[in-house]
Amino acid sequence: MMLWIGGFTLRLIWTGGFGWFVQQRMRYPLLAAAVVLLAFGLYEAYRSSIDEARNPSARRWSVAPGVGWLLIAPFLILLSVAPTGLGAAAADRVEAFTPTESNEDFTAIEPSTGPVEMRVFEFLDRAIWDEEQSLEGLVVRLEGLVVNDPSVRDGFKLTRFLVSCCAADGIPLQVTVRGTPAFADDTWVIADVVWKPPAVPYRELEGRWVVEADAIEVQTVEDAPKDAYESPW
Amino acid sequence: MSNAPDSAVAAEAAVVHHGDHTHRRPRWALGPWALLIPLFAAILLRNRVDFLQNEEFRLWSTLFVSVVIQALPFLVLGVVISGAIAAYVSPDLVRRLVPRRTALAIPSAGLAGLALPGCECGSVPIAGRLVGAGMPSAAALTFLLAAPAINPVVLVATAVAFPGNGQLVFARFAASLLTAIVVGSWWARRGGESLLDSLRSEEWSSHNRWSRLVDVASRDLVHAGGYLVVGAMAAATLQLVVPRSIISTVAESELLSVLMFAALAVVLSICSEADAFVAVGLPQFSLTSRLVFLVVGPVIDLKLVAMHIGVFGRRFALRFAPVTLVVAIISAVVIGQVLL
Repeated sequence: MMLWIGGFTLRLIWTGGFGWFVQQRMRYPLLAAAVVLLAFGLYEAYRSSIDEARNPSARRWSVAPGVGWLLIAPFLILLSVAPTGLGAAAADRVEAFTPTESNEDFTAIEPSTGPVEMRVFEFLDRAIWDEEQSLEGLVVRLEGLVVNDPSVRDGFKLTRFLVSCCAADGIPLQVTVRGTPAFADDTWVIADVVWKPPAVPYRELEGRWVVEADAIEVQTVEDAPKDAYESPW
Repeated sequence: MSNAPDSAVAAEAAVVHHGDHTHRRPRWALGPWALLIPLFAAILLRNRVDFLQNEEFRLWSTLFVSVVIQALPFLVLGVVISGAIAAYVSPDLVRRLVPRRTALAIPSAGLAGLALPGCECGSVPIAGRLVGAGMPSAAALTFLLAAPAINPVVLVATAVAFPGNGQLVFARFAASLLTAIVVGSWWARRGGESLLDSLRSEEWSSHNRWSRLVDVASRDLVHAGGYLVVGAMAAATLQLVVPRSIISTVAESELLSVLMFAALAVVLSICSEADAFVAVGLPQFSLTSRLVFLVVGPVIDLKLVAMHIGVFGRRFALRFAPVTLVVAIISAVVIGQVLL
């Protein structure tokens, strides 16, 4: 049992598949856990083989009592369902997050010839809280997945999940991107956009703040980025 | 809800049954290889059964697997420590280290929780072994409740999530410690010490420590891990059945929002290092009701109840869980009123 779980965990780290479930920084704790599991599993197997050589009829360590067998269930699911990370289905279930407090201590954006790459969280944060309006007129490159929404006809909600611990606590971060062709839900895109300042300042609006942007260019991406989720840390 | 876990259970039943009938063959010889059957079945089923590609079921799988994967390193850390306790901590040592008087033992056990960086999953097997090593169960349970909530990693995470709100971090620390101490004292007075007798049944010996460590760690891992999986399944299911967006529609009343946050903490089963980030995302609610979320989550939630049942027994969990929940809510509200 320990060998199986340890082995599966190693494989999950090796293929990078763990990135769909937890943050990248969990790689090393997971690796350590897998190594400990394998070491314990080997030690038990070694000992039971010695015991058996000495006394063939002795009762051996039982592999997994009762409910312990369920530990293999997550790995069966990984093999059969092959779930990928959070996407449009998850975004529909949880209200999108907008930064409500900010340290308002934004560093100046370095001038560059091309679009400025930015995390979705930073884009939202600057759009809402930056007194200097550093986003104004700036071409920003965002990466995220497409979530279609009936209220956005000429575009989509570019979505990236904010995950602090594991996918179960994921909260969507969304920028409404307008002026694009239609894409299927869950397509990963790199979008060059320009922030569209709101008609009424966000802070004067009750309820949800929706940050909008006009698309300059949207390219689809074959594979999701390795760090599929943004981290608040 | 799920096919794969069912097939694992079925395979288990089949194997155990089979094993019982073949006395000559040692049981373990079947074990590791028997796992190949559900594994192959899982691979064969993939892309063949439409249900497995159902959107809801995939989301359920993502949530379920992520809770388990996230907990795994902490669980392993926990069982290694519990193995070390079983192997190296003699009842004599416990008697010398733990203050004789309960009035002193309980708060110090609570503060000892500062020393274990990690989530709640790891502290369950540790507390079980501490009782096994002869620690008064009230002190061990205080540690169980305090460790996941007041360790430095969790406090730092809370401070990061709520920048410039030091009172909240302190309120969390105070309310969690208070919860642990109150529940510990309650247990010392009228807890059923006898409910935990099964944990103490093992003889302690100083022989062959390394192999005892591995033995205990393996047993605790498989046992507590199995219950963790049950809890993760329940949490994933409830997350889907009760969408989180329901929060934004709940009434303004403070009492309702306190109760709702307590229920949310139990259902979501988020680990204690992450819950502050979820709480900060719900600014429309008062700080006190969000404090309830931060105090309840680490001491009692679905996956913890499952693990308590596994490690301490069902009758224990039935008494312990409701009391802990109520004490946690009240401590959080009281501390919230005073500090926030």
